Amino acid sequence: MGMDLKRLHKDLAKIAGEAHVFTDKPTSLVYAKDVMPYDVEEHNMPYAVVRPAGSREISRILRYANEKGIPVHIHGSGTSLVGLARPKTNCIVLDMGRMTDIQIFPERGYFEVEPGLHVAKVRKALARHRAMLPVFPGSELVATIGGAVSVNTSAHAVDAALGKPGDYVLGLEVVLPTGEIIETGTESPRRPAGIEPTKFLIGSEGLFCVLTKLRMRLIPQPEMENIVAYYGETDHILETVMEMYRQGVPTPLFFEFLDEKSARAGFDAVGLGEPAGAVAMMCIHSWSKAGCQEKAESFLEFLQVGRPLQSKIVKDTQEWNKIWSSRAEAGNYIYRLGSTFGSEITPRVDKLKDAYHDAKDAILNLKSYQNPDFYSFGHIGAPTIHAYAFIPSKDISNEVKKAVVQEVREVTEEINVKYGGCGGEWGLTAQRVSFLKKRYEAPYFQLLLNLKRALDPNNILNRGNLEGWV
Amino acid sequence: MTERENLRETLLKEIARCRACRFCVDVCPTYQASIGVETLSAFGRLQAMGYLLRRKLKFDDSLTYALYSCLQCRRCEVVCKSKGQNLDICTLIELGRALLSEPLAEGKDRERI
Repeated sequence: MGMDLKRLHKDLAKIAGEAHVFTDKPTSLVYAKDVMPYDVEEHNMPYAVVRPAGSREISRILRYANEKGIPVHIHGSGTSLVGLARPKTNCIVLDMGRMTDIQIFPERGYFEVEPGLHVAKVRKALARHRAMLPVFPGSELVATIGGAVSVNTSAHAVDAALGKPGDYVLGLEVVLPTGEIIETGTESPRRPAGIEPTKFLIGSEGLFCVLTKLRMRLIPQPEMENIVAYYGETDHILETVMEMYRQGVPTPLFFEFLDEKSARAGFDAVGLGEPAGAVAMMCIHSWSKAGCQEKAESFLEFLQVGRPLQSKIVKDTQEWNKIWSSRAEAGNYIYRLGSTFGSEITPRVDKLKDAYHDAKDAILNLKSYQNPDFYSFGHIGAPTIHAYAFIPSKDISNEVKKAVVQEVREVTEEINVKYGGCGGEWGLTAQRVSFLKKRYEAPYFQLLLNLKRALDPNNILNRGNLEGWV
Repeated sequence: MTERENLRETLLKEIARCRACRFCVDVCPTYQASIGVETLSAFGRLQAMGYLLRRKLKFDDSLTYALYSCLQCRRCEVVCKSKGQNLDICTLIELGRALLSEPLAEGKDRERI
């Protein structure tokens, strides 16, 4: 690699301590490996993994990296589905795993958390104060709060019901790519109006700064009612979602669905009988029990617009847990039994049905692999279409995997472009840069490059993600 | 195919089933004890072993430490069963140790283990 690793190790150890610097190959490999189904290559391998304790150490590491011209790749937990987590070039990996402090201030109406704490642990800490965390990734056992805010993803939740986590960020402490530590925002529950950097740094995917502390508003835990609806076919669920937005019906916090095949797999896995077709499941939220009940009943009435075979409010917690987990189990099923290639399409809502059928056709007619299966499940009410190409074998070559990943990405990008979508959950750089270029005019992408250059003149942070390197 | 080659193939096939979801990472006691070093988790061990078996990594002290620091507690398997791929992770690590330690003990690749 042409890098003096002993020297690098020694220099980083002076900053973060010997116990927190790794330059061995196995550690480099483990931090380079992400969810992408193809192998880590030599150009992805970090020179070193360093695990800083706080912003001062990060500042020193970034100043050092600028001086030496070494890229720095930020590592939350490596669960990105669009390649954000894999270094695109030999680099120093900045693992945020030691920065896990959380402090909750009910009297101030906010909490402060370091970026490395896993989402499930943040949720658990907030629950003691009857507060809700507005972030719901399927990977919450291991995904970090810093990663979620860096991508500004609420994940499975319906944006129209709750917004994005960034809407609840009151302020940040960040280290800029050139090493300066800055604090942004406010300690008041009222977010600043006007030009204020917090909003530019949220969702910046580690390109503009390293998040070192987040201050977020405490959101009271809402009351919830759960609804399940069974449909003869997926189209009726799509029509329901379109009608929900058209009529201006208040959206549920979660509106998930399983297409016919996913429903069979998911229900079988949780020990429920085979459903007649597709299944939708919704969580209705409100701030009072009575309000929630009324809202759920009203939504149940609205659902009749989609001609469900059966629909009901589910009061039995055990029954609901089975129904709800069938969605995760459908995912486990396809990932367990073969090779699965996902996509994220967020069309204009009045085009949801067209976009869904385009996606299905595109997946079923892939050129890189003949006759894959098509599965779809997820947050259809958001609206998000996760169209999956499923190959019932793990035994396919690295080259084919790469080709399928690329083709699925390209064909689903076209659908996003055609129907005015942009993505709402997975982040927009790394593998999706080609989409940004297709979706928008050149000045748009140039603006992103200019912003990056203004904040990171040596292109130190997450190099290659904005360039779209694989 | 020799017994060793068979074992290598079996291990590679099983490790290829890991989808790198990392759900097993946080429950691993050695990951917790190291305050979050991913190499010292079930995910880390499986990945490192896979690349080693495909000869993309060399066996060194850090890899030895990663493989032999596994406590075989099987907490990772509980998570893998409920969230991931239902892999017998600890068995794979045990088999990997056996496969890799034999030539090492004979001094073929390295002098010590």
